[in-house]
Amino acid sequence: MPIYEGIGAITEKLVVVMDIGTAYTKLGFSGEFSPRYILRSEVRCKETGIMRNIRDYKNERDLYDLLVDFLHVLYFKYVLLSPKDRPVVIVESLLCPTVFRETLAKVLFCHYEISMMLVVPSHLVCLASLGIDTALVLDMGFSEAVAIPVCHGLPVIHAWQALPFASQAVHLNLKSMLTTSNTGISNLTEWDLEDIKVRCCFVTPRERSKEFGKPCPSLTVCPDVKYPIQGSRSITIPGKIRETAFEVFFEEDNDHQCMSTMILDAILKVNLDLRLQLAENIVLMGGTVMTPGLKSRLKEELYEQLKNERYSKLKIKVFKFHSPPCKDNYTAWLGGAIYGCTELLGMKGLSRENYLKENRLPDWANMRDNLRTL
Amino acid sequence: MSYIVQPDVVKYACTCGILKPISNLYFCRHCLEIRCSFCVCHEADSHYCGKCAENLPSSEARLKKNRCGNCFDCPSCHQQLTTRAANVGPKNGEDTKATPRKVFYLLCLLCRWSSRDVGIPDQSAVSGGWPERENVYANRLQEIQDMYKGIVLSDKQQKLEKDKKKQRRYMSFTDRTGITASMLRKRVGLPDVPHPLLKSKPKEPTKAIATEDVEPFLEDLLTQPVNLSLITTMEQRLVQPELQPTTVDKLFPIHKHLSVKRSQRCRSCEHNVSKPEYNPNSIKFKIQLFAYYHIPEVRLITVEPLRAGKVSELLIKFINPTQHQTTVTILPYKVQDDLTLEECKSEIAQQPEEKQSIPVASSQPSSLIHSSLSRQPSITIKPRSVTVPIAASIEVPNNTFILPPRDDAAEYDDSGDTHNIQDDPKLVVWRKSNKAVIRLKIIPESDSKIGDEVVVGFIMQHVYVNTITTVDNKEPQKYEHKIKVFLKLGGLVGNE
Repeated sequence: MPIYEGIGAITEKLVVVMDIGTAYTKLGFSGEFSPRYILRSEVRCKETGIMRNIRDYKNERDLYDLLVDFLHVLYFKYVLLSPKDRPVVIVESLLCPTVFRETLAKVLFCHYEISMMLVVPSHLVCLASLGIDTALVLDMGFSEAVAIPVCHGLPVIHAWQALPFASQAVHLNLKSMLTTSNTGISNLTEWDLEDIKVRCCFVTPRERSKEFGKPCPSLTVCPDVKYPIQGSRSITIPGKIRETAFEVFFEEDNDHQCMSTMILDAILKVNLDLRLQLAENIVLMGGTVMTPGLKSRLKEELYEQLKNERYSKLKIKVFKFHSPPCKDNYTAWLGGAIYGCTELLGMKGLSRENYLKENRLPDWANMRDNLRTL
Repeated sequence: MSYIVQPDVVKYACTCGILKPISNLYFCRHCLEIRCSFCVCHEADSHYCGKCAENLPSSEARLKKNRCGNCFDCPSCHQQLTTRAANVGPKNGEDTKATPRKVFYLLCLLCRWSSRDVGIPDQSAVSGGWPERENVYANRLQEIQDMYKGIVLSDKQQKLEKDKKKQRRYMSFTDRTGITASMLRKRVGLPDVPHPLLKSKPKEPTKAIATEDVEPFLEDLLTQPVNLSLITTMEQRLVQPELQPTTVDKLFPIHKHLSVKRSQRCRSCEHNVSKPEYNPNSIKFKIQLFAYYHIPEVRLITVEPLRAGKVSELLIKFINPTQHQTTVTILPYKVQDDLTLEECKSEIAQQPEEKQSIPVASSQPSSLIHSSLSRQPSITIKPRSVTVPIAASIEVPNNTFILPPRDDAAEYDDSGDTHNIQDDPKLVVWRKSNKAVIRLKIIPESDSKIGDEVVVGFIMQHVYVNTITTVDNKEPQKYEHKIKVFLKLGGLVGNE
């Protein structure tokens, strides 16, 4: 430990809280009310010099190298702390691939030698900032939307619903629509598309979207936007695209699944007694939720779906939504930060000794850690 | 220097199995191993602001949330803001003869954003009290956080209490006589002590109330034309995660983020291999064990056109950077060698083997409380095997050659060689002060195609003089040190 790290470092441990998302990583310290940094989850490849997303790994070793580089940037450019012998709180989705979480643990414990790691499920901890323990949580991130009901502080995993309806789906839709209306813009990057999406697009109300579905819609579309690209060029984003880019969320696919059915299906899979309570405690989180108009549209869609026959046995009359005391894209991180500043870290965290004994991370999907439920 | 070593033609294999040019390697003098940025332990040393070059103690940096108190970044283009002064004349109704006051505002010289754009009042002091923004939910979140702390703490106490109860084996006399402790207290006249479990019951958090209405759809979106220059980009939003302004009129100057000086530590012997000076203005190091100063540098001079199966001549230059004469031997490198990686250093005669044993990392328990005072030993990571496709064989010379010590004065001396070294003329082509060019014969593999990249590898064994003196060992010691060197020779130009 460098001598420059004064007495303060001895009295209180700084706990780094990170939520490594597919597109953005939320990074900060426990006990604070917002992450210090929201960064793209990508790192520059040393050989080619191209930015690579850490989820685009080829194999486990490739992922290990990517995470070593990525965490190095996080620690020495942003957190500005030596990772060694410090605890870390990781907020992760319950559906995080095993290879990713295991490799992350390996990098943190073996390469960066952190003293302790507490892994908290994002769907559960996001309720911490609300002070409730029962809710239906829908997380709309970059690659997929995942709905998991949480009942009395326990995520009901068997009721999980996941669909690839999130940012990425919008980007693909937007790209295909833009290439049909503009010529020669095939080289739009993911970040260009995101910027167009964020600054120009919104979710239109249900009646307008229905009207768009007709052969000749009788409505005035919203004004077009001239969007500058690469300094000298510009493309026109027609009003129709601005309004309909998000329609993928609400169009039922071949299995009759869409965003609204996800929520209702998740409710259907839960015990009868809890259904009403879940419908009256819906929490939406993830960056995609921040799109203007999305929440009101989802509400409309939910009521519309209730009229459907397959949900006739649901006795739900009203849906209620929570509004967490933060921005939607870091709700889960905030939960992790609240958990991280309690004694829970010492009680439930995985210490380095224990990790090195077994060389694996406890996991809900593993029977060894989940014997209690048998 | 970087351009000489920049196209990574010559790479050295680090102890951890990663190939790097010599400028990116460290050499730990204590365990006599090559280290690279991947296999050393990085540490944050001192915090400083990159703009005003002020250095802050880490505790202060922590208080300021790793940001400089005086410097600001532009919220629009993330460049540095400059403080501008303006004169303000007397306002109407004031004394017209009063001297004009100086006021200050922030301006970005790149994108012309200024603090006046968003209505931040001008300040009367240069460094001055720029308004800070606070989280609107801070009170509610603080309340929730305290409650969760309380709940977990009482959980922990209950657990402790339970353990304590189990341990109690003796009986209290007061229980036998039917007089409990609380009764006794009452009789004596002392106030009753409340039950410890009841006392520490935490406050339940006030639950958030869900509402039926959500953010309504804004009809403006359908009718108002969009002015992109007024809407912030994702970068602009995410630089201020707390506020995430959607329009440019809510952008506020950002305190400049601090940078950190790093020191590197060898993972197996816990000695520093690189340590910068504390002062941010200084670019010097307190400790700099760079491989460039200890290991002979290999440079590619020229190579004959490479033809598959044919002998080509390869000229490489060796430079001795140390103050001691060294002898270089070239040994053949085989890919299989990596699996049975032998010790790469061996002490030369004179002294019996005495190496300090390196403590095994996992055997020592770590504790959260003391670990900030005493360093935990590092975990050693298993080295990877070097995976380079070797596409040519080297005819290894039998002779060794000598590299004289480095002499800075000789760099400017054109009078010629003063060393009388008997060289094998077949091996050594040219020699001057601490440099020597040697000739090697290589044969690219006969089954490779035109255009294939030819890589050759050999093991360079050199004598390293360790000048570190220990208590029981005052004399500098000589070691034979082996390093794998790989040369990229370019594409194959022809077949047999």
